[in-house]
Amino acid sequence: MAERNDKILLFGFGRYGEQIGLNLLSEGYNLVVADSSKEGLKKAIADKIEQVFVIDIYNDEEIADLILDHRISKVFCAFEDEERNVYLTITIKALFRNMEVIALCESKESERKLKLAGANKVIDTMYAAANRLYFILEKPAVAEAMDHILFKDPTIQFREVQVPPGSFLDGINLSQIDFKQEFNIILLGLVDKELGNRFIFVTRGINHKIDAGDILVVLGRRWDLERFEAKLKGGP
Amino acid sequence: MRLPKRLREYIVKILVDFAFLLEGSRRYKRIKTFFRNLLENDEYPYKRYFDLFMIFLIITSVIIIIEEVTTPISKWLYYYDVYFVTGVFIIEYLLRMWVHDDIHKIIIEEFENALFLERQFDLAKVFKEIARRKWEYISSPLAIIDLLAILPSYRELRILRVFVLFRVFKLLRYSQNITHFFQVLTSKKSELFTLLILVAFTILVSGISLYVFEEQANPNINHLFDAFYWSLVTISTVGYGDITPQTHEGRIITMIIILSGVGLISFATSIIVSAFNERLEEMRDERILHSVRRSSNLYIICGYTSIAEILVAKLAREGKEFLIIDMDKKRVKELTRKGLRAICADASKKETFRSINFARVAAVLALTDSDMHNIYICLNIRSFSQEVFLISRTIDHNSYKKLKLAGANYLISPYITAGLFASKIIEQPIAIEAINDILNGKRNAMCDQVEVVRGSFLEGKRVGEIDFKAYKIVLLGVVRIDPGARLEGQRRRFYFNPEDDFLLQVEDVLVVVGYNISINNFKSMVIESSLGRKKR
Repeated sequence: MAERNDKILLFGFGRYGEQIGLNLLSEGYNLVVADSSKEGLKKAIADKIEQVFVIDIYNDEEIADLILDHRISKVFCAFEDEERNVYLTITIKALFRNMEVIALCESKESERKLKLAGANKVIDTMYAAANRLYFILEKPAVAEAMDHILFKDPTIQFREVQVPPGSFLDGINLSQIDFKQEFNIILLGLVDKELGNRFIFVTRGINHKIDAGDILVVLGRRWDLERFEAKLKGGP
Repeated sequence: MRLPKRLREYIVKILVDFAFLLEGSRRYKRIKTFFRNLLENDEYPYKRYFDLFMIFLIITSVIIIIEEVTTPISKWLYYYDVYFVTGVFIIEYLLRMWVHDDIHKIIIEEFENALFLERQFDLAKVFKEIARRKWEYISSPLAIIDLLAILPSYRELRILRVFVLFRVFKLLRYSQNITHFFQVLTSKKSELFTLLILVAFTILVSGISLYVFEEQANPNINHLFDAFYWSLVTISTVGYGDITPQTHEGRIITMIIILSGVGLISFATSIIVSAFNERLEEMRDERILHSVRRSSNLYIICGYTSIAEILVAKLAREGKEFLIIDMDKKRVKELTRKGLRAICADASKKETFRSINFARVAAVLALTDSDMHNIYICLNIRSFSQEVFLISRTIDHNSYKKLKLAGANYLISPYITAGLFASKIIEQPIAIEAINDILNGKRNAMCDQVEVVRGSFLEGKRVGEIDFKAYKIVLLGVVRIDPGARLEGQRRRFYFNPEDDFLLQVEDVLVVVGYNISINNFKSMVIESSLGRKKR
């Protein structure tokens, strides 16, 4: 459900910002970069990012103008200084309550603060890296699998598919359908609107009834997923 | 003394031949190494038994000698003490002298030097060198104790019985802690010496003056020795009170030396305490290194940074063994308080890893927050072991290549990981969250790997034949080792969501997702089936 017409504002172009910026760019996002120092922006320009701005993060008006002018829909706070990320998150949330803010942090302590400040998603970078290390050490096959699925093979994708009303899945029990046999995809789980917006794993063992509005999280090859989505929308 | 030339040449020839015979003999070397290990190498497993045996001999012999003071003992006990115990002590003494160094090497060296410089073989020099080396051993404190401990067996001289004390001292040799105590004290040799001089001087001055003032007035002071005795008793703040000053002059001296005594005592205490403080950490580190040596599958984590902290917490939860090496004393102290094994050392230094057996190390992780330091650590580790799995953290992407060159097998960068996740989290927030939950084992769901064990019911099966649904797990894919791959990074191949006719081989690894309990159940069934078939 990637909407590539989303415009993303990336605050901070340090070590984190650069990596995030490059990845977003390669995924084809429309990117605006803002940093408080010119040094960071020089790097951004060298990385062929077109829209770069120097901004004073203590100036609310400047930030508001930037977001309004570019019709930003998502904001990334990627300063290396955690305090700045917290401050920025709270600023943006104060200005635009519904803006989606994703922030980086390096510790549990800041994660908590960022969540309190209203960040929609928080990436604890140290935690992510440590976790990765753990899998490399203890479960190398799982690490390999995740690398492959997430990063190496672009044809393998996750999809979050909402079940439309009246589709062939509406009202069906999970056990009645074999996703692998029919579509060659893997169903990981679903978010059930009736049970609150919680993600439920498919292996829970409970025979779950799928309703319209549920979101299925599926994993598979792009073409298989497309076939599945087409079928769901009432195609052939 | 001049030897006739013929005789000289003859002796030299015999000596050199003998030296080369020893040098060439494998058996000789094996035997010598065995004894050297037994006597001197704390790592050697049998040394413990030898030490215990010696302790037993010492204790029994001391008991016998004490008993003998008052009551006559049985003939057998007497023989045991005089012949067996003493015999063992003498043999031990000689063995220690033997393994102390290799004299045949001295002879060979001199022979080669003489040959090279085209001069005569210098017999005198060789003998002097040999005598010097052996004297080095004989004059060492522990060797002196050993020698004196042999003496009490000579019963004809009663006075020699005093040396039974040295048998007690001999116990020191076999106890690590007491040797440490002496090492600590020797590290403060000069301070203690200063203290001793100071004490001696004070006793001398005060003793003489008291003697001068009170020899006539005080009935308790008859000799200079009494005055010295009084002085030491007073200065040490013990103050028995058997000798007390009677005159005003004497009391003034007493007051002065009581005051200086307090100072001297605190000086002595502070020297010993500071010596222990300095050495205690080292000793603790040594103990940790010692305990680590026995564990297999050890992880060595260099640098306790925030990334290491999270990893360590995770490993500790799983009951894995690890050793943390950090340069910050405070941090190490904190870690030890938490009961984690940590030592304060520089991971880029050679000494740090000298006692580590890398065959038992599962992986080394260089996680400091400086690329330069990580490169140092990698190079250091590679100088010890080419095989051990080495992971390094990188900060600047310019260091990527350098770290690889330094021998790191895998590189981790929080920046790159964050970058990779960032784009995915915008695109597929729920999926990333689900994956994160699975990877972190939250809500009891997890992603795990199951190896196709030889003889298990998975071997030779097609994926379609296994009913994963019944096991309540989901198969994500299969990792297969490709032995033909040229690059190490490409050895593992991941087959995503394999077709039903995908044939499973031994050593394939299934990557499955499911609840903790169902995965464990599946794993144990795989293991059980492999055992069952082997029996048949």
